[in-house]
Amino acid sequence: MTELAQAFLNKTAVCGVGLKIGKYPDRTHLSLAAESFKLALDDCGMKREDVDGLICLSFGSDYDRLLEALGVNVRYAYQGWSHGRFISPMLQQAAMVVGMGLAKTVAIVHGRRSKAYGQPAEPEPWRQGLGPHGESPAYGALAPAFGAAIAAQRYFHMYGGGNEDLAPVAVAFRKHARMNPQAIRRDPMTTEDYLKSRWIIEPLRLFDCCQNNDGGACIIVTSAERARDCKKAPIYISGMQGVHAGRDYHNLTLPGLGVAQQKVYKYEPKDEDLYAYKMAGITHKDVDLLMTYDAFTPLVLFVLERFGFCKPGEAREYIKNGRIELGGDIPINTSGGLLSEGHVIGWNLFIEAIRQLRHECGERQVKDAQIAQYACFLGESIIFRR
Amino acid sequence: MQPSPRRIDEKTGRYLPVIYPEEVPYWEALKQRKLILQRCKSCSKAWFPIGPACPHCFSMEFEWAQMSGKGVLHNYVVYHKAWTTWLESRVPYAVIQVELDEGPRLTTNLLDCPVKETRIGMRVEAAFEDITDEITLLQFRPAKT
Repeated sequence: MTELAQAFLNKTAVCGVGLKIGKYPDRTHLSLAAESFKLALDDCGMKREDVDGLICLSFGSDYDRLLEALGVNVRYAYQGWSHGRFISPMLQQAAMVVGMGLAKTVAIVHGRRSKAYGQPAEPEPWRQGLGPHGESPAYGALAPAFGAAIAAQRYFHMYGGGNEDLAPVAVAFRKHARMNPQAIRRDPMTTEDYLKSRWIIEPLRLFDCCQNNDGGACIIVTSAERARDCKKAPIYISGMQGVHAGRDYHNLTLPGLGVAQQKVYKYEPKDEDLYAYKMAGITHKDVDLLMTYDAFTPLVLFVLERFGFCKPGEAREYIKNGRIELGGDIPINTSGGLLSEGHVIGWNLFIEAIRQLRHECGERQVKDAQIAQYACFLGESIIFRR
Repeated sequence: MQPSPRRIDEKTGRYLPVIYPEEVPYWEALKQRKLILQRCKSCSKAWFPIGPACPHCFSMEFEWAQMSGKGVLHNYVVYHKAWTTWLESRVPYAVIQVELDEGPRLTTNLLDCPVKETRIGMRVEAAFEDITDEITLLQFRPAKT
């Protein structure tokens, strides 16, 4: 770890969060973003003038229109790209901006509509290769689920098992969602229900895929010192690592599975793959709850192997018998995740981590939670500590 | 042949491959029932997707070389949901990733093979599907031998 990282540890914190999830057909991205910002300000007891940094995603209105609407001037503005893999880098950036003094308090603000107004819900046709979910439309390879399905197929080919091994993920997260009044999918789900759900892209069923919905989210990051004066307990940022990328890290898969041009091998994390733990001075055994990007169930198996919670090929056994449920060894996505709570590009996963560490989750509270990890199959991670 | 930015065939509703300028030789060869890929003049390895440099050694000197068209079915999924009207009469259909004997992997469909007989590890060979007057798509079918 660098000296700068040493000095940075626990010196920034999340002080406020705001979240909207649901169906808001008569609202715009902008209004959902603005309301989330207001909710987050109320949550921490700050005024909008206290915010002098803004980070948003390219969804709905641009950063300047958003700031104009909020009536806020900032000295640090950044607009990133709207994909789940880029939300960790944005929160990391917010912390680094605060740490470097480029802004005192940064708000990350996002508004989402499941269908953009007047536009087809398609990927990014202006980008070479049609963007991360361009897939291969001429071959009927459409929709993000393709990436997760083809990765799952390779996983089962290498390690055995099949679709039924994904059931514990869908069932666990639904159980969690039923304890979350904000969650969208709250009907009870048994393994039998899961197995009866229709195929979408085999080996994935309907219940292996998250839904799409409207929503808004805001996360406010400031210095640890300043956060201690806020309404709620500060949640410190203790460790982080980036999105790993390249030929060996394909969209929605784990290294080693041989998707697209990936090498085929049994992936096990090396020390340099686990920098976030090193930075936070912990191992995966210290993590009280794990939040992970679960747009599709296989991604949960992948993250467990990516971060060494279990050995290559063992995740499908590891997740059984309630281990990833509340009360289990490592509760995952205690809000219900994207699969059952809803899809706000994953900001809702961060917000759940913050609320869990503040001990405000009621029925679904992880008892005495001290350390929460956000981590994904591509390697990006943030360690939060109360 | 010209690059083709068209994403959808308005007549049929079928998605078309977007053909970028540097990919034209590949598509011209497919029209002639040949599979060619870029091969590095420095390390002799072939690569895919089509790109500006050899991802193995980063040489920018390459030639278009004919591939054997033979390979192994490395991965597949089966679409049950039809995302477009054109696909409605085609589900369930398989999307496969083939590993060519020369190394690169390509995403295509598997022709002339029932979905239930699709297996990882089966030998496949290149096939060619004319989808418009200008564009021929690379496909694969089970190997005859």
